[in-house]
Amino acid sequence: MNGQPSVLEKVVAFVDERIGLKTLQAKMLNEPVPGGSRWAYVFGSCLLFIFIMQAVTGILLMFYYVPSADHAYASTQYIIHEVDYGWFILSYHFWGSSVMVVMVFAHMSQVFLWGAYKKPRELVWLIGLALFGLVMAFGFTGYLLPWDQRAYWATTVGVEIMDKTPLVGDFMARFLKGGPTPGQMTLSRFFVIHVMILPAALMGLAGLHLFLFRKAGPAGPFRGSVEELRARTDYFFPRQVWKDVVAMGAVFVTICSLAFIEPVVLLEEATPDPGDYHPEPEWYFLFLFQMLRLKMFSGELGQFVAGVAIPLGFMLFLASLPFIDRSPERNIFKRPIALVGWLIVMTGILVFTISAIINREFLD
Amino acid sequence: MQPKLKSKVRCADREVGEVTRVIVDPLSREVSHIVVGDGAGALEREIPAAEFQTVTEDAVQLRATSSEMTQFPAFQREGYVTIREVEIAHLEDHLHVEAGEVLVPVPELERNVKRRTFFTNFTHAIGFLLALPLAFPVLKYVMKPMYAPFDNRWIKIGNAGKIKAEDVGVQFKFKKSVKEAFMPEAEVDKNVWVLKASPVVLEGVYRGKDLEFKDHSGQVIWTNKRDVPYVAYSGKCPHLGCGYKWRNVPKLGRQIFLCPCHLSIYDPSGKVLDGPAPRPLDPVPIRVAANGEIEIIDVEFKAGTRAQIRIV
Repeated sequence: MNGQPSVLEKVVAFVDERIGLKTLQAKMLNEPVPGGSRWAYVFGSCLLFIFIMQAVTGILLMFYYVPSADHAYASTQYIIHEVDYGWFILSYHFWGSSVMVVMVFAHMSQVFLWGAYKKPRELVWLIGLALFGLVMAFGFTGYLLPWDQRAYWATTVGVEIMDKTPLVGDFMARFLKGGPTPGQMTLSRFFVIHVMILPAALMGLAGLHLFLFRKAGPAGPFRGSVEELRARTDYFFPRQVWKDVVAMGAVFVTICSLAFIEPVVLLEEATPDPGDYHPEPEWYFLFLFQMLRLKMFSGELGQFVAGVAIPLGFMLFLASLPFIDRSPERNIFKRPIALVGWLIVMTGILVFTISAIINREFLD
Repeated sequence: MQPKLKSKVRCADREVGEVTRVIVDPLSREVSHIVVGDGAGALEREIPAAEFQTVTEDAVQLRATSSEMTQFPAFQREGYVTIREVEIAHLEDHLHVEAGEVLVPVPELERNVKRRTFFTNFTHAIGFLLALPLAFPVLKYVMKPMYAPFDNRWIKIGNAGKIKAEDVGVQFKFKKSVKEAFMPEAEVDKNVWVLKASPVVLEGVYRGKDLEFKDHSGQVIWTNKRDVPYVAYSGKCPHLGCGYKWRNVPKLGRQIFLCPCHLSIYDPSGKVLDGPAPRPLDPVPIRVAANGEIEIIDVEFKAGTRAQIRIV
């Protein structure tokens, strides 16, 4: 056997000869990480991992789920109560979406605080923002699919908010609902958006995001001399890959634990009479929901400001950030406006979310 | 200028060999060292860029003398990877070390092609012409169910005998049959709030005018008379479309309509007392038979607008 290549080695050699596999693999793994691998860099890999798991669990759910107003609820109940481990697959998918939102916030915060959106990484940042929008759209459209009261009312209110966009709002809301009120057409539309359009868009944009990131190269730490960085530089593999894999494992265990501890339980089947149910969106939209309760955002104009202008304006602001903030300084402790701004936004979201939860008790 | 591969390397006193390899710093992406050898496999040495005195198209002049060459470390191949095996962003932009251009011939047919711009534009035009006739059908295809005619059926919702006191909101739940597109006819649960209004509240609702309800065409389909004491409000909150409740609020010392979503509060006449709602509750067409049977038309208005815009 000595000296003779094994079958596996022959297969690898066969493929390598045709597509240059080894060079490709070397290029993928040998990416210098300036200043060395860090735990702070794991969020992007975690997001990719969560997305793949969402795709897998989502496809599994489609083995039983029927996107029709008379079967969506029953088929979801069937998945939860009858199908072996159906409750787990569904709960994993549900909690996976929440963890994905948390990871998106962590990833964006890391990039923001490290000043990694600045030249030459503007395009990576812009595509990242589009991906953020896609993740939120995934959450919003997926929420309707079980067709229970929670689903129905979150969608009703969410689409009404979109309706407040000037000029195109009415068209957008009717387009999404497939009519004047939510029903079968809404379910069909949300379904195709959730399982076809968004995944295709996300795969394309995530690929572009990674490509642009590799083109621009990792930003590395925001302080340290060139000599210090050079001394600590390593390749993506193995140290960063190791950290990424450990973080993915932690994410997986977290989602599984949440699915076990708090499995998905449906409310009554969707109907335009809310009964005793107090409509509320998923937790990551709570801050927006709470903002709309404020007196200052009352009336037609107020709703437009809180529901459309502020979120849209904030996204536009983030998109223009690398073009406004052109100082090459990346150290967050030397960018007081950025640091304070980040703290204000995070605190604001936290305060509004908590006050929405406190309001919940006051209503019951 | 960057040193080139195969360039001659000269020390202060004599030529010592040629550039066999170029080493690039991955952070600055500049040439950091050259490797000097005689091209015949003898010992190669790494010379840092700081030692270069001048670099020309085909030669590198070093500061050191040939006898000082031994002070430079021997080149160790295993300490490096080629640039094909590593991904360093924008490395090519910084690097000009090729020994020369590597070329392939342009195919014969491509050499004398005129009107390249014309061909490019023509390709775009064909693509555009293919897409154009599709745009309208696709738009109409996805818009099919968006605009439905109004539903002006009267629906029985219960008996007024259920209402025991004046100016108290009483919820009437009812089933509404819906036939949506290809779906079998189904029933959905809906509700309206009915009030037996005192004259004061009735005045608050109608403000001295009968209330007309119109179809798409603007034709009046029903008029709520201002002297009929029964008022029915659409179960949909005019703020963002949630379902509101009738609540006793001890702090206010009165009963009110409260929407749990965004906390809009309405008095029995539907007037906004507090919260973000842009307009009062929406009365719907109501008629009460002599035996107390209440019928309504389940009209719905767009939520969140100051004006009432009927959508159902």
